Amino acid sequence: MPLLLLALRRLALRLPTLGLILVGLFLLLQLAPGDTVDAMLAQMGGGDPALADRLRSFYGLDATVPVQLGRYLWRLVRLDLGQSAIYGKPVLDVILERLPATLLLTLSSLGLAVAGGMALGVLAARRADGWPDTAISLLGLLFYATPSFWLGLMGIVVFAVKLAWLPAGGLQEVGTGLAGWAAVLDIAWHLVLPTATLSLIFMAIYLRVMRASMLEVLGLDFVRAARAKGVTEGRVLVRHVLRNALLPVVTLVGLQGATLLGGSVVVESVFSLPGLGRLAYESVVQRDLNMLLGIVFASTLLVILVNLAVDLVYARLDPRIAR
Amino acid sequence: MRGWAARIGLGLTVLVLLMALSAGWLFPRDPLGLAGRPLQWPGDNARFWLGTDNSGRDIAAQIFHGARVSLLIGASATAIALVIGTGIGALAGYYGGWVDDVLMRVTEAFQTLPNFLLLLVLVAVFGSDIRTVTVAIGLVSWPASARLTRAEFLTLRNRDFVAGCRTLGMGDAAIMLREILPNALPPLIVYASVVMAGAILLESALAFLGLSDPNIASWGNLIGRGRGVLRTQWFVSAIPGAAILLTVLAVSLLGQGVNDALNPRLRRPRA
Amino acid sequence: MPLTRRTALLAGAATLAAPQLATAQPGPKRGGIVTVHINAEQRILNPALRASTGVYLITSKIMEALVDLDAAGKPDPMLAVSWASTPDGLTHTFALRPGVKWHDGKPFTAADVQYTAMELWKKELNYATTLQQYLVAVDTPDDHTAVFRYSRPMPQDLLLRALADLGYIAPKHVFAGTDVLQNPANTAPIGTGPFRFVRYERGQYVIADRNPDYWKPGLPYLDRIVWRFINDRAAAAAALESGQIQISPLSSLSLADMDRLQKDPRFEVSTRGNEANAVENTVEYNCRNKYLADVRVRQAIAHALDIPFFCENFLYGFGKPATGPIPSTSKAFFPATSKPPYPFDVARANALLDEAGFKRGAGGQRFGLRLLPTVAGEDVPLFATFIQQSLDAVGIKVEIIQLDAAGFLSRTYKDWDFDLATGWHQYRGDPAVSTTVWYRSGSPRGAPWTNQFGWQSDQADKLMDDAASETDPAKRRALYADVVRVVDEGLPVYMAIERQFITASSKALVNANNNPRWASSHWADLSLA
Repeated sequence: MPLLLLALRRLALRLPTLGLILVGLFLLLQLAPGDTVDAMLAQMGGGDPALADRLRSFYGLDATVPVQLGRYLWRLVRLDLGQSAIYGKPVLDVILERLPATLLLTLSSLGLAVAGGMALGVLAARRADGWPDTAISLLGLLFYATPSFWLGLMGIVVFAVKLAWLPAGGLQEVGTGLAGWAAVLDIAWHLVLPTATLSLIFMAIYLRVMRASMLEVLGLDFVRAARAKGVTEGRVLVRHVLRNALLPVVTLVGLQGATLLGGSVVVESVFSLPGLGRLAYESVVQRDLNMLLGIVFASTLLVILVNLAVDLVYARLDPRIAR
Repeated sequence: MRGWAARIGLGLTVLVLLMALSAGWLFPRDPLGLAGRPLQWPGDNARFWLGTDNSGRDIAAQIFHGARVSLLIGASATAIALVIGTGIGALAGYYGGWVDDVLMRVTEAFQTLPNFLLLLVLVAVFGSDIRTVTVAIGLVSWPASARLTRAEFLTLRNRDFVAGCRTLGMGDAAIMLREILPNALPPLIVYASVVMAGAILLESALAFLGLSDPNIASWGNLIGRGRGVLRTQWFVSAIPGAAILLTVLAVSLLGQGVNDALNPRLRRPRA
Repeated sequence: MPLTRRTALLAGAATLAAPQLATAQPGPKRGGIVTVHINAEQRILNPALRASTGVYLITSKIMEALVDLDAAGKPDPMLAVSWASTPDGLTHTFALRPGVKWHDGKPFTAADVQYTAMELWKKELNYATTLQQYLVAVDTPDDHTAVFRYSRPMPQDLLLRALADLGYIAPKHVFAGTDVLQNPANTAPIGTGPFRFVRYERGQYVIADRNPDYWKPGLPYLDRIVWRFINDRAAAAAALESGQIQISPLSSLSLADMDRLQKDPRFEVSTRGNEANAVENTVEYNCRNKYLADVRVRQAIAHALDIPFFCENFLYGFGKPATGPIPSTSKAFFPATSKPPYPFDVARANALLDEAGFKRGAGGQRFGLRLLPTVAGEDVPLFATFIQQSLDAVGIKVEIIQLDAAGFLSRTYKDWDFDLATGWHQYRGDPAVSTTVWYRSGSPRGAPWTNQFGWQSDQADKLMDDAASETDPAKRRALYADVVRVVDEGLPVYMAIERQFITASSKALVNANNNPRWASSHWADLSLA
């Protein structure tokens, strides 16, 4: 219960920001050349202007901009995200359909990035300035500097085509009717390459931060005190150093939630994953305002939730932090 | 370890700069012109050191001219991002109060919105011309530097020397620009390398999706065009990908080197 | 399976229709799932509302038209069994197939044809709104006869050829009285075809299962068809090679991959099955531009493009120079003796430009133009780049303005804010369907792929209008040949390259690619070896 209240309070605080984003994007997109009907005509391969006019009035695009904005905000206040012009379905339905793929991708990538970054950062810090440290840091820099889409494509060529170990794209095998655990494993199998691709750049960042933070904490008094007390190295590491060293990493995760979602656009495109990132790209190209704003709304909610989770983890890690 | 990393960074950066500067002299013809038969492998033809792409253009020429483009885009977008970010952060940190509130809301808005998404929208609205793309990249990259600047200004504005300036009758603008800003700069300069690396990667991602300016020889454009021939003539995408990698590496290492030089003892975690 | 005479005949006909399969086929095997690659999601799965090959790829297996095309390109009776027209072209009577049921069990009757033609084709279906604009009524004297009455002569050959694409029938009992655009049957189609719609998982796939009550006994052979959305071309090629998909139609793979897979013995990569789907790459001129207003400049630009070189080196040979708006695959209308009107000739191009008064200035440049490429396929950006490079050689500096699909349509056809544009012209069986609109004046502003170029020729207009209502096929052919001559000379649009779509399919398929619009056809006889 208090958690829910905290979440709602956070959301309330973010409302002006959210409003700013939505109205700003709405107005910005009015300036774009062509509207959703033009995109539809392009896909249809042609059409006469009478049809175009009829479609425009069907989608409410013949009203003036302030009227359209007013209609949108009025619907939003009643928590109605509107109809998608692309799909002819409520935006909420489409988002819920595509949300699982994106959540799976981003959460696994985040998990892998944090776990990998932590492990490698600790390893590097333990043997600071030795060759494992150098090797790991160099690796981290390489991960950071590699364009994710390029890595994704190379991954497909090597692992899907040449070696045929992993699938080339999609979320699951289609039409074969897998169920239960088989289906879960199938999805996991399809997510291996995309997760690896998306997580690498973040892993590089967390690696660096973890290493630096570990080094800083390792030099602090209380660690020396613990060692002097005779606590084993392992316990020193886990119980004392790690908890404190994790703090900056956790902060970063909170700050980068939005970047992770942005990165999923390209990865979902390369691997044909039916997620929100690609849907957002489609909405921009097809000028589906309701859909785009709906996705932004959803992603903002996600970022708030991530920040909330981050704060909770932070509080657990550092008991000195008062709520 | 740090010593040689920074030296490598410097070396690579100089290399990329040299490529950019010598491009016009080594490859005087238009790099986007039809140079020969398309999709020749590197080494097949003595004229084309790195082969040709699927539009028959010399890849080596595009790499060298592309260095100019990447550095220019990177530097300009970074400059735009830093100017906006520093400006907003300075105002927010110095004045506090409702100014801070409003500006931080705006910053938060830009940070909550996935920056690649905003970039897509900006390009869809304003077009793919290279100037527009550069400004757009700058516009999505400023929030972090705003927060950084704000933090610095918040700390520094209460220092004695600032109070002293005020008693001397210095105006706000003068104080911000001449007294506080120089002290706030070091972390920003280091952060500039992060922004620049990000800017280069963002432009290449846009070009990969086919949304960047097709009239310039950018590395990202080349990767995007090589996407169609990835299985067989993978060098078309691989070579510019490596170039991007090296440049981003160079910029990051250089920034890290500057960071270590400025903070030899404090290894503050960089966001 | 019970080998009735009908089944044997069908099996025999199926084998005959695929002459390329020289190996003795023991008879199509029953069962199996075929997975098809489709690279863009379709908003509306209703071919009676949306005319596009992407829609047909999925829905033509579920819904049927009055006619399809047979292997020879002649009308193949589907829901219409036979037809007769009055000599004046004002009345066309269709005898409909009896005993056909919709997938929900209701019987197919002439009322469905009447409803679809009057409410959907005439009012909502792109290209059919123009084609059927003189349709006055569809009478239904009995449940299996539909009489189309026109106020202006409708040539029978035009109608039949167009109906293969624009003649899909929707169930009246599902659509009548509802808001047609919002009807849920638009994403869960109900038809009479060999496969029944099962599921549409957004962003992922569409599934259709065998219709056991299909009116062709013994068909279809397959148990299920799955259409997978893969919008990355490299991933699609990988999926084909790993066996995840068996068919990638409509040139959905990258040119390099298609070239490579052609040499792979497991796959057939060719234009077989796409003879009716001809596409031409265009160079569109904004004749309001002060340089392009002079026809000599337009012709010079055409002469500056080495089309054979482009086809050979950039399209891997999947294309050839076009001779005008009517492609060579159109047996009924292609002017047999025509040649490409503007062969590659740099000297002539330079001469024409000089003659028009635009001499080279400093740096060898004459003037600059903005080129807007449309968003379609891989060939358009390649062609745009080629245009830029070629025109540079004759002193015209071209700047490419990259826009997305909506932006391109809006700026080119609505705002007229362009100098050159390049895209596709899709020829749909008959020049009257979607070809003459490129030249006919009077098109309202904003209508895409029509004459928005500021060019007008009264002579061409008259020829096109006459041809659209000329019932004698020979006279029609002559009229269109004249149209081609006039527009090739006036050149508001240079139809530069003629291509057909390419299908990449596994050779394990039997009866694939066996009619000129196969990807958009019914696939009832498709099977796995």
